[in-house]
Amino acid sequence: MSLIQSVKNSVRKRSIHVCYVNTGSCNGCDIEILACLAPKYDIEQYGIYVHNNPREADVILITGGMSPQWIDKLPDLWDRVPEPKAVVTIGNCPVSGCVFNRPGKLIDPPVSKYIPVTASVPGCPPSPAEIISAILGAAGELFKDYEIKNKEAQK
Amino acid sequence: MSIFSYIREFLRPSWIRRFFYVRTPPLTSPANFRDFPTLTDKKCIHCLTCKMICPSPAAIDVIQFDGEWRPQIFQGHCVRCGYCVEACPEEVLTSGDLLEKRHSQGLAFAHEYKIIIDKVKCMGCGNCSTACPSNREIDENIGAGGTATSSNLVIRVEHGKNTVLHNELCKGCKVCMDTCPNGAIHVVRLVSAVQEAVK
Repeated sequence: MSLIQSVKNSVRKRSIHVCYVNTGSCNGCDIEILACLAPKYDIEQYGIYVHNNPREADVILITGGMSPQWIDKLPDLWDRVPEPKAVVTIGNCPVSGCVFNRPGKLIDPPVSKYIPVTASVPGCPPSPAEIISAILGAAGELFKDYEIKNKEAQK
Repeated sequence: MSIFSYIREFLRPSWIRRFFYVRTPPLTSPANFRDFPTLTDKKCIHCLTCKMICPSPAAIDVIQFDGEWRPQIFQGHCVRCGYCVEACPEEVLTSGDLLEKRHSQGLAFAHEYKIIIDKVKCMGCGNCSTACPSNREIDENIGAGGTATSSNLVIRVEHGKNTVLHNELCKGCKVCMDTCPNGAIHVVRLVSAVQEAVK
């Protein structure tokens, strides 16, 4: 591994920009993400920065169970995220629709039907510690040696 | 600002230490954290109380493994409310300190099922009475139109309309709701938290 690659790895590990997208959640999971920003957890000390612009984000945090308005917009948003990129879904709704998945529902879970999902955090809502460890784990796996992996994939 | 001021800014030892080392304790859950329910070594009797009380669709199922019934929790569906832990009569499931609290405080769930029939919508076809598994256990020869000689049934068609005879025999499976063509019958689960005497 070249020196520049190891520098890239160590910097990427400490500089993860997240953007959260609410695809019709009840705001329970959004409040747990908000708790990550509070002094008790403080995600910036782990090198995670909230940056609510998909064009500048590395990780997209998705809450909610795909309301009809998001079905055409979410793949479009996913295309705008620069490589390397990852999706972490927060809570039960993006996986199953949770308690909203009733007869006559409008939501259309799972989110993985529309965009590739890297990691899911189950729970209704998950605790901030679970969210932070999922972001760190997913980003650490995906962004490490990204250039080398990308070159191998293109061969 | 020149590039040198940037370099001087980022070469400060305090900034580098803050950038590379996390200061708060590691990401662990508290000791009494109510996580997804896990199995204890008690034996499941397949009473399905956990499935009945679960508020989330498809979160818990009782599945047979090697001839033994065992509840299984589906992550991504379970909302971690802990109702199944509190409701289980055999204490098959555990989560956090819920079981200890249940023992020390004598907490229990009392539940009953109430059958509500909309007399205007009901056309007396008797699908519900025939489909009801509790009815079938009591009277094996129940007629296709929901008519029966036994009066010890849950529901029965009387004078062209469905009538509730013994509400307390209902087990809350809601098969009648699925078979009703008019949506005239509803099974309501009434759950109340009660406190028993501590043993």
